[in-house]
Amino acid sequence: MKAYDGPLEKVSDVCYRIPKAYRSDMRVDGLIFASPDLIDQIKDDQAPEQVANVATLPGIQKASLAMPDIHWGYGFPIGGVCATDPAEGGVISPGGVGYDINCGVRLVRSNLYFKDVKPIVRPLIEELFRQVPTGVGRTGKYKFGRKELRSLMRQGVPYLLGRELAEPSDIEHTEAHGLLEDAEPDWVSDRALDRGAEQCGTLGSGNHFLEVQVVEQIWDEEAAAVMGLAKDMICVLIHSGSRGLGYQVCDDALHQLRGVPEKYGIHLPDRQLACAPIHSSEGVRYLGAMRAAANFAWCNRQLLMWQTREVFETIFGRSWKELQMNLVYDVAHNIAKFEEHEVDGVKKKVWVHRKGATRAFPPGHPEIPTRYRRIGQPVIIPGDMGRASWVLVGQPGSMEHSFGTTCHGAGRAMSRTAAIKHSHGRRIDKELEQRGIIACARSWKGLAEEQPEAYKDVDLVVDVVHRAGISKKVARMKPIGVIKG
Amino acid sequence: MFEVFEHTADVGLRMRAPRLEELFVDAARGLTALLVENPEAVEPRMSWECHLQADQRDWLLFDWLNELLYQFDVHHRLLASCSVRLEGTQLHAFCEGETIDPARHRLDHEVKAVTYHDLQLTESPDGWMAEVILDI
Repeated sequence: MKAYDGPLEKVSDVCYRIPKAYRSDMRVDGLIFASPDLIDQIKDDQAPEQVANVATLPGIQKASLAMPDIHWGYGFPIGGVCATDPAEGGVISPGGVGYDINCGVRLVRSNLYFKDVKPIVRPLIEELFRQVPTGVGRTGKYKFGRKELRSLMRQGVPYLLGRELAEPSDIEHTEAHGLLEDAEPDWVSDRALDRGAEQCGTLGSGNHFLEVQVVEQIWDEEAAAVMGLAKDMICVLIHSGSRGLGYQVCDDALHQLRGVPEKYGIHLPDRQLACAPIHSSEGVRYLGAMRAAANFAWCNRQLLMWQTREVFETIFGRSWKELQMNLVYDVAHNIAKFEEHEVDGVKKKVWVHRKGATRAFPPGHPEIPTRYRRIGQPVIIPGDMGRASWVLVGQPGSMEHSFGTTCHGAGRAMSRTAAIKHSHGRRIDKELEQRGIIACARSWKGLAEEQPEAYKDVDLVVDVVHRAGISKKVARMKPIGVIKG
Repeated sequence: MFEVFEHTADVGLRMRAPRLEELFVDAARGLTALLVENPEAVEPRMSWECHLQADQRDWLLFDWLNELLYQFDVHHRLLASCSVRLEGTQLHAFCEGETIDPARHRLDHEVKAVTYHDLQLTESPDGWMAEVILDI
């Protein structure tokens, strides 16, 4: 892979700049939140060049931003954030959301502690692996006809209330209440419906996972208490998105956008950045379908959580309510949202693209559930399957510096092919077992590609967003079991 | 021939062939080899046809891979072999394969999508070369 050899000016210990002057087509600076250690890794591939590419989009505000877990993507970098103003000819770019529309994570707590679960970790993980559909080509146990799928995409998680597959508190603790308004399921193609029909309630493959974790360390006692988290508590972290339906919605949009940027006089450095003015017919059409796919994704994670609760009920012989398996919070990390932000002292509504980045609203923000309003919006950061994951809360710096956004994970450090080479002759599942982690996966290659060493150290990533004041550490969790595709 | 090349979070496929039709066949083989660990185990138990039209040849390659992905995702079809005929920017393919049998097919990557990022299709005196990055 070719390393980035363009400029990176140090702004502070947690921020680097790619000046607008680097390329004549950049409309704003690029800003990467990173420490000196991380920036050396970030320069290893073309991710910074992709930050510069995003800076060319019409209507972009302030800067093209990247979080410390940035890595090379397609079009946008993973970890990229870009806000565009419709009033200034701002565009919407399906590539700024990604194929996995509303990929995200949710954290479920319980009243179980490590001592309760330690003797039965293996049967628990094996039962989760049997009951929760994972991997390529696996279909789910929930069947939705075309009409039902359309209702689900229009109504989001509240649709599942009527099917007795969700509780009001699940909805309260999901970003946007699990529903983007103005979704247009009729603009979702038949091909997308075909791909999604059997996949709502399935985990998928790649970097998606379901982990059983233990709260290892509390950093902020007050915030942890409000979220119901305590040291040694058992939690479940679920990472998935909109499955084939969302991939197809993005693909359809990119197909419809062939030749469209040129039509509006937009010159792009990468075809994957294809975009259209927000108010154009093409832009409006994508947004309607994107919202529908986002609602599908929230329903997918809801159904994954529901199946997880059922497995815990079987294993522990108590209802999930008795086990207090409440949803702490669900966050989207591949999405575009229309939000109010201050730009140059003026409050305006902009389209914030988060491509591998998480919303992190500060205490007091009206979009935070009442329960969490005084501590800030919970942010869930999955790390890798061997080390740790984090719970953070949004901080005022996010509104000042990053359009209310923080990181989304550890970020890859190794390509998939390099990870396979690195795992030659090793048994990743056995290595994890020696570290006290039971791993069940459909494919050894999948496990090898997702091995802990393939990722950056999530602690270093979280440290940057904490020090930058865009979010704050609350709790660190370590995995004890993982299921993967 | 096809080969897999490095991309941080995803996977790249590079094809080289003396004729464009062969390159399209190689691309299909490359995609199948990412979807299933043992593509040699896929048998020609059924057949289907595919007809596509695009404005540009690189988009036709993109659409061809996308169509195979759709067949896999929705109809759970794996490709054993195919023949491809090109007429300008039209593609006519005859495909043979079978539906996934977990007892015989070891499924591998979930390919989410074909991307336009660095999509290349070029002709040189040595023949044709294409690169495509797949979202995993």
